[in-house]
Amino acid sequence: MLEVKSLSKNFGGVKAVRELDLAVNAGDIIGVIGPNGSGKSTLVNLISGVFPATAGEIIFQGQSLSKLSPHARVKAGVARTFQNIRLFPGLTVWQNLWVARNSAEDTRAEGISYRWFRKSGPVKNEIDAMLEFSGLADKGDELASNLAFGEQRRLELARAAATKPSLLLLDEPAAGMNHDEIRDLDRRIRQLRQQGMTIILIEHVMDLVMGITDRIAVLNFGSKIAEGEPAAIQENKSVQEAYLGQSDDD
Amino acid sequence: MPNDYLLTVISNIGMISLIALSAYLLLISGEISFGQQAYFGISAYAGAIATTLWGWPLWLALLFGSSLAALAAGFVGLLTLRISGLYFSIATLAFAEMVRLSLFKLTYQIEIDGELIGPNGAEGFGEIRWIFDNDVSVLEYTLLIYGILLLVLFFLVLIERSRLGMIFRMLGQDPLLTRVQGLNPVRYKVTAAILAGFIAGLGGTLYAHSFTYIEPQIFNMMLGVHALAYGLIGGLGTVLGPLIGVAIDIGFLESVRVIQGYRMVVFGGLVALMLIFMPRGIFDEKRVYWLKSIARRWFRA
Repeated sequence: MLEVKSLSKNFGGVKAVRELDLAVNAGDIIGVIGPNGSGKSTLVNLISGVFPATAGEIIFQGQSLSKLSPHARVKAGVARTFQNIRLFPGLTVWQNLWVARNSAEDTRAEGISYRWFRKSGPVKNEIDAMLEFSGLADKGDELASNLAFGEQRRLELARAAATKPSLLLLDEPAAGMNHDEIRDLDRRIRQLRQQGMTIILIEHVMDLVMGITDRIAVLNFGSKIAEGEPAAIQENKSVQEAYLGQSDDD
Repeated sequence: MPNDYLLTVISNIGMISLIALSAYLLLISGEISFGQQAYFGISAYAGAIATTLWGWPLWLALLFGSSLAALAAGFVGLLTLRISGLYFSIATLAFAEMVRLSLFKLTYQIEIDGELIGPNGAEGFGEIRWIFDNDVSVLEYTLLIYGILLLVLFFLVLIERSRLGMIFRMLGQDPLLTRVQGLNPVRYKVTAAILAGFIAGLGGTLYAHSFTYIEPQIFNMMLGVHALAYGLIGGLGTVLGPLIGVAIDIGFLESVRVIQGYRMVVFGGLVALMLIFMPRGIFDEKRVYWLKSIARRWFRA
């Protein structure tokens, strides 16, 4: 469903992503790992359209994304989360999810009171279900900025999922989480896949990546140095070198 | 019978509140416009021309002046779509200065009852006599101003409670995140600009008829800066914020004799202090949310 073809991005002289190829099948969870600065987040930014690629193509469901603006890509079905949590701090939890839902019936109802939607609008059940999914059912009216860190992470995931994407890009969703929270996250990502989302997971927490992904691509200095099933990647020599440095007795 | 000086202060607060609300609407959508005085001025001239030279009734002149202002604001909004921050502020200021300097060149006079009447460049535009010709008392005109202000407030409250208002605030909080939520900022930025232009325009036509004399110099940068400062003092969390800002400035600083000569010093100092200690004003989003939750608990009990 997603095909990245010799994608490159230069920031001045720095080549953040070089000639990257990546193919993602519908329903897969793909892990993208690599040391810091290897181009993982840049890849997410390129696919979501935060900035344009220097060269290469991104084909999503048979359609080139290159010319689409970020909001058009969301309409096409690509959603993302951010490495550093991004929410609307001045809106409540419920409102954060509501504005993320961006279907035609909501756009037509732009002038109608929020309170009505909260009480009896057509999307109420759907958003309440999303609150349930995030374990935030009793926090709907809380300001997003008043949530604890872990809750904000959960809201961010739900916020991205609320746009009903077919492709979900998760940029280090487990950063700063403890063991239990990571297990929760694992469960939620699997749930989203069951709902039909294809997921690209960028992560440093190896337990999560190795356990949940179907395939892993490893980036180093902007290039893909390996791709394969989690078990194979763990055994891969060049991956170990990228992470740990070259060993002396080679 | 309330005295006329007090009424003038009160009606002044009402009219300036309209331009403050106009700047506020853009502030909450994340754009600092130094140019709202342009739409106030455009409408002041257009509205006054309509009643004085063309003999239109006031309500029609109000609609005409404000629509013209909204049109100009929409045009500037489209031109400034791709710029933000400081660049946006400077572009809006530049446009407002263009409008002001053009007004210096605007001469359009018609002979009425043996007298040449109409805008005459730097000489200004006097004899805007609609109030006298129609025997409207200061009190009645003040009530009219507040009636319109209430309508605008009501309308803004509706917007703030709707998805549209939420999207305005989203743009103000995080424009990039708004885009990756699938919302097209172009549409909402231009909508905000047009609405803000119209609201400033209502204030402009009312102002011209209240003072019966206008000149280009009234619509200078200081008017726009004040309009911005009112929201920043009163708070960006509620539509009442800018009104509180206006009341503090005109109702208190301008009217209390002791600080008369030092008004701008006190006002400038106040703005500086607010920006340091309460950058989003007295009633910012958090305090408004807090007050609302207290009120909710109180009603439930």
